[in-house]
Amino acid sequence: MQLRLAALALLLSGALPSPAQPALTPAQRQLNIDSFEMVWQTVRDKHWDPKLGGLDWQAIHDELRPKVEKAATLDEARAVMSDMLDRLKQTHFGIVPGEAYREMGAITADADSGPRDGSPGIDARVIDSHVLVTSVEPDSPAAAAGVKPGWEILRIDGKDLAPGLAKIRDSLSSQPTLLDLLQAHAVTNRLSGQIGKSVELQFLDGRDKKVSVKLTRARPRGQLALFGNLPPVHFWVESRTVKPNIGYVRFNLFFEPDSLIAAFQQAVQACQTCDGFIVDLRGNPGGIGGLATGVAGWFTDKQGQRLGSMFLRGATIKFAVFPRAEPFRGPLAILVDGCSASTSEVFAGGLKDLGRARIIGTRTAGAALPSVFTRLPDGDGFQYAVANYISEGGQALEGFGVTPDQEVKLTRPQLLEGQDPVLDAAVSWIEKQKK
Amino acid sequence: MNRSLLRANVIIAAALLAGIALPRLVAADLPKAETILDKYIEVTGGKAAYQKLHSQILSGIFEMSAAGIKGSVTSYRMEPDLAYTEIVLEGIGKITDGSDGKVAWANSAMQGPHVKEGAERAQAMQTTRFNGELHWRETYKTAETTGVEAVDGKDCYKVVLTPAEGPAVTHFYDKDSGLLTKMSLITQTPMGEVPADSFPSDYRKEGDILLPHKVRQSVAGQEFTITIDTVKLNPEIPKSRFDLPDEIKALVNKK
Repeated sequence: MQLRLAALALLLSGALPSPAQPALTPAQRQLNIDSFEMVWQTVRDKHWDPKLGGLDWQAIHDELRPKVEKAATLDEARAVMSDMLDRLKQTHFGIVPGEAYREMGAITADADSGPRDGSPGIDARVIDSHVLVTSVEPDSPAAAAGVKPGWEILRIDGKDLAPGLAKIRDSLSSQPTLLDLLQAHAVTNRLSGQIGKSVELQFLDGRDKKVSVKLTRARPRGQLALFGNLPPVHFWVESRTVKPNIGYVRFNLFFEPDSLIAAFQQAVQACQTCDGFIVDLRGNPGGIGGLATGVAGWFTDKQGQRLGSMFLRGATIKFAVFPRAEPFRGPLAILVDGCSASTSEVFAGGLKDLGRARIIGTRTAGAALPSVFTRLPDGDGFQYAVANYISEGGQALEGFGVTPDQEVKLTRPQLLEGQDPVLDAAVSWIEKQKK
Repeated sequence: MNRSLLRANVIIAAALLAGIALPRLVAADLPKAETILDKYIEVTGGKAAYQKLHSQILSGIFEMSAAGIKGSVTSYRMEPDLAYTEIVLEGIGKITDGSDGKVAWANSAMQGPHVKEGAERAQAMQTTRFNGELHWRETYKTAETTGVEAVDGKDCYKVVLTPAEGPAVTHFYDKDSGLLTKMSLITQTPMGEVPADSFPSDYRKEGDILLPHKVRQSVAGQEFTITIDTVKLNPEIPKSRFDLPDEIKALVNKK
C-alpha cells in the first residue's frame, strides 16, 4: 500500500506544472519553516544510518535554514527541502507537492466517489508506449465482453492514455526501473472504480480496428484480506501443473500467510517428482516481507541461507530462510516483470543470488525499501525510507531491481496469438535441465 | 513474566519487517545484585510461594497498535523447562514457540518451522526454565549491579546478568518497590542479533504471587504490548501440550 502511494506521488510530483504562486503570508512562511525542521529532524532521527553516510547534517541545516526563511513562494521553500534530501543521494526521500495529492484525488475520483474496489477484470502493461491487455480474468466483465489479451487500450472514459503516460516517462528519467510499475498503476487507477459502475474503454482489437466497450466493474478476483491498518485488499493464489510435469504457482500479493503457504505446501508436496517448478511473480507488488523467506523455505534444503539483509537504525534483520522438511529440490524458475516489486524482489533477488533460481522476464521495479508518507505542516507530502535492503549478493535492490538471467519481453503479436513467451521460456529451460 | 513471550515477538518484528539511557548515578555502595534479585522474589511473593508453583497458563491480548495488528497470546509453562507459546494474529496467522526440555523451536505459517541451535538455543533454554526467578544462580554465572537508571521516571537498580553462554541480560529493579521494570537483551535469532527492551508493569496478585499483567516491548524499532487477562496457576496441563509439532519433528529427524 505504501508502494501504491509512492508510485502515484512520484508520478504526480514530476508530471504537474506548478502555477505562478502569490507571495507568502508570515503564517505560510512559518509553516514552511516548520516543515523544513520536520523534514530535517525526521531524517536525523529515523534514517537507518545515524551517520547519514558521513554527511554533516547539522551543517546542511545551518546552510539551508536561512534559505527557507527567505523563500518567497511555496515552490522556493519546497526546492530548499528537496535540496536537503537530495544530499542523501537516496531514493524514497522526497517532497510531494500538496497539489499533487489533490490531483491524485481528482484522478481517482473522476469516475465516481465511492469505494474503488471494482474491476473490469483486465490486467494491462505499458509495452513500448502501448497499453496492452496482458490477461483477462475468466468470468469477468471483460471476458464476457470478448476482450482479448493483446488488445491495445487507447482511451478510458473518453480520455486518451498516451499523454498522461508520456508525462510519467518524462518524470522518471532518474528512476527508470519504476517506469513499468507507475505506468501500470496509472492505467489500473483509471480502470478501477465502484462495483456496479461502468467504465468505457476504446480498444484497438486484434484486427487493428477501434472498438468501444462499456464494462460494468465487478468484485475483483480473490478473497478479501485484512492486515493491520492497511485497507482491505483482494488476495488470490492459483496453483496448477503446466506442460505435464512442471509445478506452477502464481499469486497477486505476499499476503494471507495461511492461504499462501498452504497453497505452496500442497503444490510442492504434489510435485516432488516434477521436472521443475515455476513461481510467477509478474505484477506482484509485494506485501509482508517475512513471507519471502517463508515461501523460499519450500525451495531449499540448505540451512543457514539468507535472501539478504535489511538495515534499520539499531538493528540488522537478516532474511533467514528456514527450509521446510520436504522442499522442492529440482529446477526453479521465477517469472518477473517491471511490476514485480518489494517482497517479490527480495524473494527473486535472494534466490538468484543463492544460485537457487533462474529469473526470467524483465527487470523488476527496484522499489524494495519500506517507506513512510507523512503530511508536512505546509500541506506537502514527505516520503522517507526507514530501512535499507541489500540482497545476499551485496546488491542494493532499490533503484536497480532484479535483472533477469534471461530477458523475455511480451509482444502484441504473441499476446494476440494467446502465447505467454515468458512462461514458455521457463518451461523450455526446465525441460533442458532434464537432458 | 516469562521471557519466552518476548522471543516470539522478535520473530514478528523481524518478519514484518530503544534507547538505553546513560547511567546517571553510580554509587560506590550499590547493593549487591543478589540482594536485589532476592528482594524481587521476596516482594513478588517469596521463595515458598514460588516453590508451590509447578505449572502456569497465561493468556491475553497481543497488540501492535501502530500497525493496527491485534490478536491473542497464550503461554503454557511447566517445570522443569517445558514451554509452549501461541500467538494468533489477524492477517498473519499462528506463531508458535516452545521447548520440550531438549529441543527449542519456533514455527509460523509465515516463516516455517525452525529448530533453534547454538546461541539461540542457549538463550531460549535460559528463558524457558520454570520459576527462573528462583534459579538465577544456576542460569547466570555472574550478576552485577552496575548503577542506577530511571525507567519511566523511577530510579531503578541496573543489574547485569551474564549467562555461561550467550550475551548478558540487563534487568532494572525499582529502588523503592523492588519490582522488575525493564529487561534489555540482545536476542539471538537466525535473523541476527536483535536488541529488545521489555517493560513489565501493572503488577497484580495471582494466588500468592505478584505478576505483571502488562508488558510493553520494543523490538527493532517496533512496539508491542501484551496484556494478560487470565492467569491459571498450577493447572493440569497434559504433557503432550509440549510435544514437538510434526513439522519440527520432521526437521529433527532429518538431522
